[in-house]
Amino acid sequence: MINNIFRFGLIFILLILFQVLLFNNINFSGYVNPYVYILFILLLPVELPAWLVLILSFITGLVVDFFSTSLGMHTASTVMAGFIRPYVLQVISPRDGYEPGSEPSMFTYGARWFFIYTTIMVLAHHLVLFYVEVFRLTDFFRTLFRVLLSSLFSIAFIMLIEHFRKRK
Amino acid sequence: MRNLLDFLLKYINLIVFIILEGIALALLGTANNYHNSRFINGVRGMTIGIEKQLMKIRTYFVLREINQTLASENISLRHHIELLEKQEDKLFFFVSDTSKQQWYQYTLAEVIDNSVSRQKNYFTLNKGLRDGLSTEMAVTSGDAVAGVVVGCTDNFSVAMSLLNLDFRLSARIKSSGYFGSLSWDGRNDTQAILTEIPQHITINQGDTVETTGYSAIFPEGIMIGTISDFERTGSDFYKITVSLMTDFRKLHYVNVIGNLKKAEQVGLEKQFE
Repeated sequence: MINNIFRFGLIFILLILFQVLLFNNINFSGYVNPYVYILFILLLPVELPAWLVLILSFITGLVVDFFSTSLGMHTASTVMAGFIRPYVLQVISPRDGYEPGSEPSMFTYGARWFFIYTTIMVLAHHLVLFYVEVFRLTDFFRTLFRVLLSSLFSIAFIMLIEHFRKRK
Repeated sequence: MRNLLDFLLKYINLIVFIILEGIALALLGTANNYHNSRFINGVRGMTIGIEKQLMKIRTYFVLREINQTLASENISLRHHIELLEKQEDKLFFFVSDTSKQQWYQYTLAEVIDNSVSRQKNYFTLNKGLRDGLSTEMAVTSGDAVAGVVVGCTDNFSVAMSLLNLDFRLSARIKSSGYFGSLSWDGRNDTQAILTEIPQHITINQGDTVETTGYSAIFPEGIMIGTISDFERTGSDFYKITVSLMTDFRKLHYVNVIGNLKKAEQVGLEKQFE
């Protein structure tokens, strides 16, 4: 238990640093902004009560917001991601259900399963994030394009990070 | 009572979700408003130390370009001095002569945090109230418009970039003198839109667009960019695309311009509103 808290603390700090120092500075043509810190919410243990996931999501979003002068934007979208997580896990659960005490990682349930899981969560998160950012429905399809393109990169980077994490 | 507890337990997730999302949206509403951006500023105090260290490293890699821009700026300033010295035929004048009083105050500041990828972009400067900066001062990079200071702490300021959906600026076409309103449409960080120019005047691609000085924030005649494209819309006005002179991706050293007579101008204008 204590071990787990330390482990997730470390993952949290590393991902936030990754996001703030590296990915926030990509700024490629205004359309591609990968947000990989959401991996922290993806990796939380399956059995964690949903309200605790929500509170952790809230804190994650708030910290990222502090670093990117966008108070509320990331918080709103991470809380949304934390909220749909239990339902997503339920819908795409493996045939034998989840093993007790396991975490939904690529290592435990395979690359294909993890890819579907990541795609749904990242899309939900980015949809809220980008529409909350513009906060209007004019240019609806341009925002949608930004969502899709950024999601593509976020998913790619998350899969990459998870791939290297798996080896350890 | 028991029923109430059961109800709360059953919907605990939904309730927590609604509360947290509510807080997030409330933060969004208060923190991202033009006038409440001071709030962001306070929060920024926590992360600014890290940003400063990072900036030191980044600065090192662009020293060459910075030298070049500074050198070219020096030259243009020398030209200005030359012109002014010729105009100044009288060496002595009364101290109370208002036409000889300083009108604008210039401060050099460094951009320590910047973004161009959002719809509402801000950048942070390394000077604040202690260096004489205050809100509603103009920020220029080189000789072109960059933004407006919207929040200050003792040592730092946050400026709203021209690349912000809330940014409005009174601008005119230099050749004809007609003025309109300049704003950013959120599409491209090298272009902005100029509206309210009537269709009966002729404009050309490449015409210079500059500030008017009507807002009492920017001095008159500061370069904004050149006309890259224009179209006649259904209304009586052009929709003009202005390609910006400032490269917001390379924003580094900026001038902060304070209007020393602003209070006087605004005070007078208020009487007639």
